[in-house]
Formats: sequence, C-alpha cells, structure tokens
Amino acid sequence: MLQLLNITRTYEAGGEKAGVFDVSLDVPSGQMTVLAGPSGSGKTTLLQIAGLLDEADGGEVRLEGVAVSTLPERARTELRLNRLGFVFQAHNLLPVFTALENVMLPLQLRGLSTEEARHQAEAALASVDLTPRLHHRPTELSGGQQQRVAIARALAGRPAVVLADEPTASLDQAHGAPLMDLVHRLAKERGVAFLVASHDPMVIGRADRVARLVDGRLVALEVRP
Amino acid sequence: MILARLALRNLLRQRRRSLLTLLVLVASFTALSLAGGFMAQTFQGLSDGAIRGGLGHVQILPTGGLEGGEEGSLEKALEGGETLAAKLRQDPEVAEVLPRIQFMGLLSSGPKSVAFLGSAVDPTREAAHMAVADRVKEGSKAPGGAGSRWLSAQPEAREVILGIGLAKSLGATVGTSLTLMSTTKAGSLNAVDVEVVGLQDLGLRELNDRALTVSLDTAELLLQAEGARSRLSVVLKQPQRADAMAERFARELPGTEAHPWHQLAAFYQQVRMLYFAIFGFMGLVLFLVVFLATANTLLMSVMERIREFGVLRATGLQARQLVALLQWEGAFLGLAGSLTGFVFTLLFRAGMNALHYQMPAPPGTSHGYELFIHFVPMVYVAAFLFLQTTLQLSALLPGLKAARLRVVEALRHV
Repeated sequence: MLQLLNITRTYEAGGEKAGVFDVSLDVPSGQMTVLAGPSGSGKTTLLQIAGLLDEADGGEVRLEGVAVSTLPERARTELRLNRLGFVFQAHNLLPVFTALENVMLPLQLRGLSTEEARHQAEAALASVDLTPRLHHRPTELSGGQQQRVAIARALAGRPAVVLADEPTASLDQAHGAPLMDLVHRLAKERGVAFLVASHDPMVIGRADRVARLVDGRLVALEVRP
Repeated sequence: MILARLALRNLLRQRRRSLLTLLVLVASFTALSLAGGFMAQTFQGLSDGAIRGGLGHVQILPTGGLEGGEEGSLEKALEGGETLAAKLRQDPEVAEVLPRIQFMGLLSSGPKSVAFLGSAVDPTREAAHMAVADRVKEGSKAPGGAGSRWLSAQPEAREVILGIGLAKSLGATVGTSLTLMSTTKAGSLNAVDVEVVGLQDLGLRELNDRALTVSLDTAELLLQAEGARSRLSVVLKQPQRADAMAERFARELPGTEAHPWHQLAAFYQQVRMLYFAIFGFMGLVLFLVVFLATANTLLMSVMERIREFGVLRATGLQARQLVALLQWEGAFLGLAGSLTGFVFTLLFRAGMNALHYQMPAPPGTSHGYELFIHFVPMVYVAAFLFLQTTLQLSALLPGLKAARLRVVEALRHV
C-alpha cells in the first residue's frame, strides 16, 4: 500500500548530522506498522515524509504503486486530503468545532455536501464509540476521547493509509491501551494501512509489524504472525 | 461554506479582541458616513444656492463672454437675447429661460456714491424660479424689514434691491431714493432714479457690499440697450441633464457659448475641492487605523493558531484555502462593523439633526447654517466598500503568512 524506498533526510541537530538514512519499508494494508525507537531516532521525520508533509533528500515514497514524493505541494495536499489520514500527539482538533464538525471538515473540503459529510462523520464517530459526544467541543472531551475523534476524522474519508505520531503520548495507560486496541481493530476491519510512530511499549506490543530505528537507520523489522 | 463557518467561530473564540477591532470599525464607519452625509448636505446647499442664486442649470453667453475685459456695459452681449430666450422656452426640455443683464456703475445717495455690480432680471420669471425673490419676502425676517418686497412687474417701475452691505454703506433702507449711474451701450453716461424696495443677503460678504438687482426695463432705460442681454439662465425640467443640454446649446446656437452651472459656480467648486481634500485625508487616516488594527488582530490570531494551521494543512487544506480563511475572517469583521456602524450612524444622525445645531458662517460668507446630516444611500455603500476593501487587504498579510508556513514546522509549534 505504502512503500518507502531508500528514504534519506538529513538535518543539523546540535552540530551533528541527524535525520533518517537510506530507510526502506513497506506498510501493508490492514495492518498496524509501528516505527519504534528512542527519541531522536528519526521516527517522526520518517512519518512526516511518508505522510507527504515533508520532502526527502533522497529516495521515493510510493502510494498504491504510484511515486508521490516528487509531486508538487498542491498535488500532495490533494493526496493528503483524499488518501491519507493523520492522528497527531495532541491538539489534533479545532477547538471551535464540535467533535462532529471536526470529523466533517475534511469531508466537506473534499466537496461532500453537508448532509453526506454529516452522515459519514456520524458513522465514523460511532465506530469509535463517540455517538453520545457528537456535539461536544474538544474542551468538553477527555484526552482519550479527543484522540478517538482524531481517529474518526482520519478514517471518515476512507483513506488508504493513516499515519499516527505518538498517539498515546498525552494519554495514560488506562486510556492509551483501549485506543490502540481500537486502532488495531479498525486497521483489520477496514483494510487500512496504519503507520504509527511510537516508543510506547504498549503500542509496540499491539503492532503487526515493528520497524526499529536507531540514529535514523532501520536496524530491524519484526513481522508478527 | 465550511471555511466561512470556521472563520466565524474563530472570531467568536477571541471575543474581546474581536470586539475591540469591531469598535474601531464601527467608529470608522460612523465617522465616514456622518462626514459623507454632512458633505452631501453642504454640496446640495451650495449647488442649490448657485442654481437658485441666478445661474440656473445652464448659462448661455455670447462667445467670449467669460473672458472679461469689458470696458463698457453690454460690450459683449447676446444681441436679440430676448428673442433667443423666447425661442428656447419652446424647447421641451426647458422649464424657463431667465434673461439677465450684468452691468456696473455708481450708485449715489447724493452725498455719497458707491460702485456697484448690477443684475437686471425679469421680475415675474425670476420670482418663480430664483431664491433672491424669496429672501426679500420673508416679512419682518427679511433683511430689509417688514416693508421690503420683490421688484414690481410694472415696466415703468424704477426700483432696486440692494445687497445689505451696499445699503449700509449708503445708509439706505426700504423707501430710500437713489440714483443709478452707468455708461450706455453706446458709451455715454446715463442716470436713472430708483427707489429701494428691498435688501438682499447673498451669502457672500463681498457680493453683499456691491450687488444690486433691478428690472430689465430699468436696466434697458439706464443702458439704452433694448433687447440685448448679457446672458440667459436656463432652468431645465431635468436638472441632471445640465451637462448634456449645455453641449447641445453650444452646438445649436451659433455665436454663443453654454456652460452647465457647476462650471461657473467658483465657490461651489472651491468648497468641493477643499472638502474632498479634507475628507480624502481623513479617509487615508481611517484606512491606516483600520488596516493596522485589523491586520494586528488577524496576525495575532494567526500566531496563536500556527499548530492548528499545521493540522489543517496536514489534513488537506490547501495553502490558498488558508488565505481564504483569513479573508473570511476579515469579511465577517467588516460586515459586522458596517452593520453596527450603520445602526450607530442612523442614531447619531437622528440625534444631531434633532439638535438643530447652528454651524458658524464659513469663511467669506455672511451667515451660518443649520447642521443637517443627509441620508445618502451611496455614502453608506461607499463606507461599506471602503471598510470591506481595507479589511480584505489587511487580512491578506496574515493569510499569506499562514499559507507560507511549512507544515512540519507548524506541527512542531507549541
């Protein structure tokens, strides 16, 4: 589904060269692939390149078999809107919108009518068990609920790939574990490729594939049955 | 519409800041529209004064009649002017033609003589269309007192209406006999005895000190110039056609030139230019105030939402849509400012008009006037467009700043 081929991205950090170096990775559909590694190992950098948020210095990103990393910014934004979904560490949601409106936003940006967007958004929020919280604003939701809204938003448009950057970082274990169980289940049910950057053992423990990064290099790829 | 909704919610999120910006906008709209209404009042007053003060809507003169340099009376005259006036009265677009003779000379009370600028008019036609007749018929409020009246229509009546300054310098009042002296069309000296029947306040001090009005018959007797007229003041049925009709008259009447009233109303033009300069400067200041206030509000708002913009861009919002989002915010601010400003203006206008405040006499004029703010829809439309344009421009900078953000940097922003 998503292929990273020999991705290199370097930058200066504290006078030293950092980033990711010659990383190749397949992110298959219906599975949760976790980029694991300590802070500074290049997880977020690789995730951002995979999500077409940043450009690699070298290598190629292929989405559904098509090279997309060299597309102009406008086309990459179109792809992000139509084929990718994102869940960030925190502050994912627009505080001025309700949960429902947050999920409707990318759908309406795609050109769906308000009614169609509402229908799909309600279904997405139902899939993360948030039907009773449709009209609550982010400040009226717990951290776990906010992340579930973000997952609903990422999934509402039926993307090919969902990219999540430390999705449990702002959650405690009690909220993080059910969230990742949900992600794992949705990946299977919907056939979506999930690429998650995390150093949380709880997240890594639920992964189908674990790509371990150290100092920007892929040192191990663990595929679980 | 999703962007519009997002923009509106963002403005409501920062209520206090939005409210402060709104106050600036309301004050600007109110200032602009009140000033516009006041300008409209002034321009209308001045144009009415010029048209009904004797110019009419179009003036027809002999060719070169505006160049000056006349040494004698009626040196440049419309020969057969009365016949031309009669012909023009048949024109379906013409309401009336008022022939006039402009002349000069000395007015003598016996011991004292003063130079004058005279206008000779048809008493009957003039009274129907020009304000000068109204001014001397206001009973005890008239400048000449209760006994004053307009010129008699009798051809043999030898009467004069004096500017208040001219009357004062001669010690003349209603009923005083004076002698008009001037050169005839042929160049010899002539004199006619006249009786003062009224005084007139023409609004300008210099004019009041020199002007007098007599009937055409009196002027013809004094100047020995039967049928000749200095100019014709044409009153149109449709005043807004003044320019077109002046062109038509100039084309169709050989040996004459025709001018719309505003070309000859020097005072009107001067005041208009002065007001445009003053209010243009005021507009510039308001533009800067509104521009900076709004740009500051929106820029602060952008700085506070950088991470939010990062998330929006990541989820597929195009850079140009971020610019559009800020434009919507500017548009909503402008709309709210204009609507609230409109209500405030109507309230202010009603209050100020109810005060019947007397404005001091403008420089060079002899009396003040009552402040009245006109309701001119175009002024409100112009104020709205002014504010809206300013806001869209001021929203452009924050919008471009937001659009230029790199997504990954925006997402890292704390």
